[in-house]
Amino acid sequence: MWLNNVVAGLTPGATYAIVGVLLTLMSQLTRVVNFAQVAVGMFGGYISLTLVTKMHLPIFVGVIGGILVAALLSALLGWIIATWLAEASTSARSAVTVAALLFLISLAFILFGYRNQPFPTLVAGPMFTLPGGAVVSKVTVLVIGLAIVITVGSWAFLKFTAFGVKLRAVSDRQMAAELLGINVKMLNVSVWSITGAIAGLTVALVGPTASNDYVTVSTLVIPGAAAALVGAFKRMDLALVGGLAIGAIQGLFSGFPNLLIVRDWVPIIFIILFLLWNQRKEVWDVAR
Amino acid sequence: MLRVRVASQEKWWLPLAIGGIAIVVGILIAVIVPADSLFRPTTILVASISLMGLGVVTGTAGMIALCQLSFAAVGAWIVEWLSVNDVWGNIFGNFSFVVYMLIAGVGTAVIGVIVGLPALRLRGVNLAVITLGIAAAFDLTLQKTSFPALVGGKHIARPFGLGSDFGGDRGIFIFAVVVTAAVAIGVTYLQHSRWGSSWKSVAFSERSTASAGTSVQFAKLTAFGVSAFLGGIAGALFDSQITQANYSSFSPLQSLGMYVLSAVVGSHLIDMALLGGILFVVIPWILQLLKVPLEWSTVVFGVLGIQALTTGSNLGTDIRNAFRKRRGKALVPVEVGIASSEAVAAVQIPRGTGKVLLEVTGLTVAFGAVKALTDVNISVEEGTILGLIGPNGAGKSTFVDALTGFLPQHGGTVTLDGISLDKLAPNRIARVGLRRTYQQDRVPPTLRVGAYVRFVSRGQSSPTEIAEILQFFACPVASTPLSLVDVGTRRLIEVAASIAAKPKVLLLDEPAAGLSHEEHIAFGDRLRQVPSRFGVTILLIEHDLDLVRSVCSSLTVLNFGEVLATGSQESVLSNPDVLKAYMGETELL
Repeated sequence: MWLNNVVAGLTPGATYAIVGVLLTLMSQLTRVVNFAQVAVGMFGGYISLTLVTKMHLPIFVGVIGGILVAALLSALLGWIIATWLAEASTSARSAVTVAALLFLISLAFILFGYRNQPFPTLVAGPMFTLPGGAVVSKVTVLVIGLAIVITVGSWAFLKFTAFGVKLRAVSDRQMAAELLGINVKMLNVSVWSITGAIAGLTVALVGPTASNDYVTVSTLVIPGAAAALVGAFKRMDLALVGGLAIGAIQGLFSGFPNLLIVRDWVPIIFIILFLLWNQRKEVWDVAR
Repeated sequence: MLRVRVASQEKWWLPLAIGGIAIVVGILIAVIVPADSLFRPTTILVASISLMGLGVVTGTAGMIALCQLSFAAVGAWIVEWLSVNDVWGNIFGNFSFVVYMLIAGVGTAVIGVIVGLPALRLRGVNLAVITLGIAAAFDLTLQKTSFPALVGGKHIARPFGLGSDFGGDRGIFIFAVVVTAAVAIGVTYLQHSRWGSSWKSVAFSERSTASAGTSVQFAKLTAFGVSAFLGGIAGALFDSQITQANYSSFSPLQSLGMYVLSAVVGSHLIDMALLGGILFVVIPWILQLLKVPLEWSTVVFGVLGIQALTTGSNLGTDIRNAFRKRRGKALVPVEVGIASSEAVAAVQIPRGTGKVLLEVTGLTVAFGAVKALTDVNISVEEGTILGLIGPNGAGKSTFVDALTGFLPQHGGTVTLDGISLDKLAPNRIARVGLRRTYQQDRVPPTLRVGAYVRFVSRGQSSPTEIAEILQFFACPVASTPLSLVDVGTRRLIEVAASIAAKPKVLLLDEPAAGLSHEEHIAFGDRLRQVPSRFGVTILLIEHDLDLVRSVCSSLTVLNFGEVLATGSQESVLSNPDVLKAYMGETELL
């Protein structure tokens, strides 16, 4: 029984993990906590829905179209921030993405209407059954796999490829990298577009399994950010673990109907306590 | 030329007068405008109060809080619970709602302080995400528990027995006008009080806030508390208007929208909070009249937000600057020069009273395996200026940090006039009488000169004395915004403010960096007078040997974290070890 609940929590958990890893990547490479991270994916999801239902394109074409739109939107937002807020603080840069989040949600209402329609299903059905009788679906396996691939992939990419080293150099010392002749803006925008595309892919995978209205999908960024907080927006591995743990805890608690309110508070309180412990020596702000 | 006025104390009645006029205008509006059109104006006022709350925590204290509408929901919930159960209806009668509203405000403030606790260690975007997470969790809880009136299928009684008809709407509007005016007056006074100064200071630098004797924790938590109080009042007022609240009015997304709106207008300014409230209501209303989908209003807010945040400006400041330009009073940098101001009487290098005021024994600081200071002994005699010199990396700044409580793990003891400072927090050390200044600019640009000096001096100097000290150091007049003052002069103001705090000992960390040679000399002429004139003993950390020679009776030289030499100026400066370690070449002397 409880194992079933935990397994049921793994799909959302892996989604939080992916979002958390993307947010950590963005924060490390482009100095932004991108509150519109999932919103661009949501927008892409509805584009693919439109392509499939209104223009009768094959599902895979529609999904790829959606992912491209998500990447493009993300790149546009990144370009705006890289152009006008190149030297601004992380807070100021992130605040712009809050405005973008609101913008994208309301634009979705206008463009795609008020009635919710389910996303076209990419994968469905059970993958295997655990000894205790808990059924693990294909989507769960796929999303967890994607989360791990993204985490390990971006870690290896940043560590071992020349392009990755360049990216880290840019994020550490933007001015110095510019003086070395690296096109910082281009690099930034490419990071934005890649994370936008991954967000689009994630929404395409997970969207059909849960409530997919504009607000619910876009605000997945909140538990995603909570997962990223576990790694303090610095460590992708902790964000991965954090996301899965939040999902599992929520799943576990859903088995106890009289603890439903506690369930909503457990992750955030856990994260606050973890961070307070982690940052206990940060008595003063960085400015000396 | 340098007449110093203590500006904000002269016109203390101004906010009251403006608030009074606003109430009269509000009542006129209530009489002229048809009662059935007063619902939206009331919402404007509710939104304004909420925005003023964000103006405190985010606009002034610089902490991003994304849960403002959760605070409003708490306020609405408390007021509903008290009203539905009519707890003290027979005691306060028609005024019971006002009592309930105040309780709601205070209750929300308590919640706000708790929500603000993570801010003591978490900052910037981390804190923003935490507050957003709290807003999300709170939203889910509200969805499940709902509001007392809704659960009971009731409506709360409106204040003063007002009905739920259009006539009642008129009464509610007048009530909202009075509440908003009262809140605005309160916020204005708070912004100009010690609390307000501490919010502005903590937004700029936590260390310098503590060094000014103010607890950083207190500053942050009061900002959260006041902001939540205002949120709670707004929520209660909203409930008096609609009489039955629903969770959907307080979603995290709307908190985010409130935050963006606050940033767009600059809602730390009262008039701009009001403008924000108007935008919040009028833009959707116009769109509704034009039969455009309501979501376009969020699109408009989104675009406005991206514009405002990318350019780093807000409407409030832009509008104010435009007005000033029109009146030919554009803000221009203040030009004052300590060098060109009238010279002060030349005095000798001060001699001490013979009493040891500050005693440092065996001070040792280690960062991991690196020893920054080893067994440093220094004693400062009352009434003197002791110079602490040494090459870069000698440990001078570490020494200041250790003395003023920023390195609590240090070994050895520090006593000031018989009081041990070893276990005290930085703000306590400042209050006991050991003050410091900073090498970098640590003067919050959002304050005015006078407010800053009052904040740092903590009531130790009378307005006349403050005026005298500012004039002595040729600082700009008290009403000058610090943002218009160049960095070198800001540091002179920091020195003047620290002296106005009348500490027993003042540590000056390279105060003359950023001043020209002439200004150095003029500064030194004044510094020599400080011990006798203001009763403040000085420990001067300085690179500039000319300044050190002109003011210090004795010197201590640090090298690689150890005391290399100590004694009278002449003996130390002619010590061959010092010459070798510090100067490298004798020609410099």
